[in-house]
Amino acid sequence: MDWSERQDARLAVITELVSRAPSGHVGRTALMKFCYLLQTVRGVPLGYRFTLYSYGPFDSSVLSDLGTAESLGAVRSNVVYHSGGYGYRISKGDSSDMALRNGAEFLEKHRKDIDWVLDLFGSHGSAELELESTIVYVDREAARNREGLTFDELVQRVRDVKPHFGEDFIREKVTVLREQGLLKSCSSAATATG
Amino acid sequence: MDPHRIYEIRCPVHGYIALNDWERQIISHPAFQRLRRIRQLAWTDHVYPGAMHTRFEHSLGVMHTATQLYDSIVRNARAVLRGELGYDDAGFRRNRQLVRLAALLHDVGHAPFSHASEELFPDQENGGGKYVHEQYSAAIVRGPLGEAIEDHKLNQGNYAFTANDVAALIEGSAGAKQGIFWRDLITGQMDADRMDYLLRDSHHAGVQYGRFDLHRLISTVTAIPGVQGGPPRLGIDYGGWHAAEALVLARYFMFTQVYFHKTRVAYDIHLREAMKDLLPGGHFPKPFPVELDEYLKWDDWRVLGMLSEGKGGEHGERLRTRNHYRLVYQTNEVQSEKDRENLRRVRETLGDLIAAEMPAGKNWYKLDDSDIAVYRNEDGQTKVAPLSEYSNVVRHLGKNDQILVYSLPERKRDALKKVEEAIHGLE
Repeated sequence: MDWSERQDARLAVITELVSRAPSGHVGRTALMKFCYLLQTVRGVPLGYRFTLYSYGPFDSSVLSDLGTAESLGAVRSNVVYHSGGYGYRISKGDSSDMALRNGAEFLEKHRKDIDWVLDLFGSHGSAELELESTIVYVDREAARNREGLTFDELVQRVRDVKPHFGEDFIREKVTVLREQGLLKSCSSAATATG
Repeated sequence: MDPHRIYEIRCPVHGYIALNDWERQIISHPAFQRLRRIRQLAWTDHVYPGAMHTRFEHSLGVMHTATQLYDSIVRNARAVLRGELGYDDAGFRRNRQLVRLAALLHDVGHAPFSHASEELFPDQENGGGKYVHEQYSAAIVRGPLGEAIEDHKLNQGNYAFTANDVAALIEGSAGAKQGIFWRDLITGQMDADRMDYLLRDSHHAGVQYGRFDLHRLISTVTAIPGVQGGPPRLGIDYGGWHAAEALVLARYFMFTQVYFHKTRVAYDIHLREAMKDLLPGGHFPKPFPVELDEYLKWDDWRVLGMLSEGKGGEHGERLRTRNHYRLVYQTNEVQSEKDRENLRRVRETLGDLIAAEMPAGKNWYKLDDSDIAVYRNEDGQTKVAPLSEYSNVVRHLGKNDQILVYSLPERKRDALKKVEEAIHGLE
């Protein structure tokens, strides 16, 4: 896939995710984490390079592509304020069809992956997605290093980078992700203790 | 030797840069000294003759700037950091030193001529695309530099850092633990890397485009309390938003005038292609322990030596004779559907007259998101808003998706004629 084909594919995926979000809009965090999960768990070749920050896996290229999608009118973005902060509400733009058309072949090929991410994670809040994607990131990093982690070890590693989340909540999320078969280093054979 | 001695190095941008004995020994290591032989901006001197500076001085500058940012954040948001990250005085000292080391070493893995040859990094085994220079930096920190990091008395007596602690912060891995919060100072919207290279590149290139009020920016940077269960985030105090705006504009101007300059981009293409010819198998060794020694042998001197011997194929020859590709078409910076259609027509009409294309989005210095959080606290009422809420300029700064199209110099005239036909045909 050359650069412009990849760009068309990315813009189409972003537009599709925004268009099909259960609430009709997504935030930036959700979009970032959807792209991360699509690429990492489902192997959708988006070509992003996610690395870990305190707010979870992140690649500024996703926001860069979002900027392009906005420029082309495929999506539109508004700032929304909430107590103590702000976020973005990204919704379908007037020219969304054009972006979907340009990446139609790629979308068709990965239709099931997009269904998957929206079915499983589409209704989750940004904090929840931040945690879930961090769990997957920590797990995959361990798997890449050929480390087998116990349930407790994975929970501890996630706590180390995300101390804002309570241990119970992390355990609950690790359990769910493991049951869904999304973890590699922490196999279902490991014991969930505590 | 006194392990507590402080040294100073003169810097054309920041004045004096102070370093401790531990950092001095790391800098003295051959893996770091190699950065004296890696130019910051590749062949940009063919456009701006002064731009001959290296990753060596930039790395020192990033350490210095990151420290200033760190100190200011601690000063401005001590209570937030104590409350949300649990730091005590020892925690503040420890993280300060960790940030300094990560900032100092973040670029130690650069390939010859910096970003120009990064496309020749090999593919990762896990299908995660090509390796990037941060992965080489992390591998060099864990490997050749490991001893220099771990064995100094200042480390053993005070911090007990492992090389992995530093590498994890550079590459963004879970090993950084809670210290991952500081990664935004190494690579993020408001990072020390960006602040240093804009000023340094401007200084050496002799342009004013990358200038902004660094001191104001540093004095107003802060940690904003986390919301909805999230971690704290870096931002700028309300009083500094114009300085943040200037940083965004400095990036824009430097990108359009220096980093994405048509001739500089052409030389990047030739350099990459010539390097492909020079490297065994057309790519760099992998960032694995057994291959790192070989990788570290690659620097600008070696490449220039090979080029001067007549190696590097057609592109080596173009570099030697300054016979670079010529720009024959460029899209608008902010693309509309009509621009995309024009480009399609130009591509069709030019066919094999096109020698190369370069999209702005592929450039390492590309302009990504300019969302900087601005924190306002007035009479106990706090508000966090994006910079674009206050800055009309930032709000309307569209995404730069310009694409440059090149032909061979000897076919430039034909190509320009065809471009005219293609565009005229649309009107």
